[in-house]
Amino acid sequence: MWQLFQEIHKNRELIWALALKELRVRYKRSALGFIWALLNPLMMMVILTVVFSTIMRFAVDHYAIFLISALLPWTFFSQALSYSVESIVMNAELLKKIRVAKSIFPLAALVANMINFLLSLLPLLLILVFLRFPFHWTWIYLPIPLISLFFFTAGCAFFFAAANVFFRDVSHIVQIVLSGWFYLSPVLYSIDFLPQKYRLLLRFNPMLYILNGFRMAIYYGHLPTLQNMAASLSLGAITLLLGYSVFRRFERTFVFYV
Amino acid sequence: MSTRIHFENVVQRYRVIRERPDSLREAFTKVFRHNSGVRDFLALTGISFAVQDGEILGLIGRNGSGKSTALKLIAGVFEPTSGKVEIVGKVAPMIELGAGFHPDLTGRENIVINGLILGFSREEIMAKEQAIIDFAGLGEFIDSPVKQYSSGMFMRLAFSIATEIDPEILLIDEILSVGDAEFQEKCEARIRDFRRRGKTIVFVSHSSASVRAICDRVILLDHGKILADGSPNQVIERYENLVHQPA
Repeated sequence: MWQLFQEIHKNRELIWALALKELRVRYKRSALGFIWALLNPLMMMVILTVVFSTIMRFAVDHYAIFLISALLPWTFFSQALSYSVESIVMNAELLKKIRVAKSIFPLAALVANMINFLLSLLPLLLILVFLRFPFHWTWIYLPIPLISLFFFTAGCAFFFAAANVFFRDVSHIVQIVLSGWFYLSPVLYSIDFLPQKYRLLLRFNPMLYILNGFRMAIYYGHLPTLQNMAASLSLGAITLLLGYSVFRRFERTFVFYV
Repeated sequence: MSTRIHFENVVQRYRVIRERPDSLREAFTKVFRHNSGVRDFLALTGISFAVQDGEILGLIGRNGSGKSTALKLIAGVFEPTSGKVEIVGKVAPMIELGAGFHPDLTGRENIVINGLILGFSREEIMAKEQAIIDFAGLGEFIDSPVKQYSSGMFMRLAFSIATEIDPEILLIDEILSVGDAEFQEKCEARIRDFRRRGKTIVFVSHSSASVRAICDRVILLDHGKILADGSPNQVIERYENLVHQPA
């Protein structure tokens, strides 16, 4: 783990440049450019708000906000994972030519998507103001679920990016797992909507604790329990540790298989 | 004079790629097949040599002789199966399109990313940006996406980055032949300048003419062994005999 932080520190300029490159390429040649990073989530949120306040109505107050508060972090998780799984294989030509720290590629994909995610919080503020939804002081708690989310995603990213070098099936499997995982995570619902017997099952899903943190801070406006905070942080850290150990164990041989 | 590159009894063994399971399905079917057919291929069979600073070394040999493997070991892309590779100083390989360059980014944007990949800091790169642009001589194309470049323009930018950034060891793989005569002269002048400043260059090529023009010393590789090591004229003659002899 220590080596990871050293590597990040040493390559921070490169990781940053690669992340910006990824975003720049994503928005290149579109007339609005970077504005899409704001406009895209804004439009999505507007649609969700209209749909759930007029067409479909649930017993949940302000369901759109309830949904968005967990959907944004979930979107980060699934997009960052989809990008980073391919990151080593996509940079094969570079790996074969130059000695570079392999970890920079999944990290750059993570950072690029993190920037996107943080930018999407701005249109969320706009929606909150527009709906006259109270702006809770608990927003200051957000860094905790943010860090947990980043660690957890990084751990998964390292693991699957390494696995994908040896078995290209992994990137397809990840897509399927993500779409199933979405319904098993409290994004569309929250855990207390479920019958008792399914709740236990959900408690094994690390995303529960992380997404709950976001929803508590943004939607409910009160702090999660200490157990919840501890669970989300430690699950994040453990996943990162495991994922990165696997990555590190195999990174020397990547160049022969990409 | 000090040693920049030192190979001691270097062996490099590859798994034959075709035989490796590429997907889970193959991995599963392999379990049921006894003869897994994994074969090893020896790319380098225990070679030793040393290169001093101020030396321009040419590596020649037929396809599959181990030239590129030797170059990758110098670049530190992987470690040898056995033996020792010692490198003193920063190494800069000339980067090809598709490797360190992103086709959608401009030449100027690529200079920064390339420099960072080669292990230099943003500050060092910005200090040299103008010199890189001037030497490449791309005019206003420097602010166009790299995918619009001709292969010659592209090569000029790559060469300009790799040399201007001032590594101790420069690796050149073939591509010099792309530029026009004027740029070739500029390159050769720059390479001589490199030697004068005590830098080391390793040059891989199939072209006897450019090896003769640039190198002080040539190593001929064949089937992962060093067949000859000496002055360009001698070694190139040996190489040409090898190529023309009936197999």
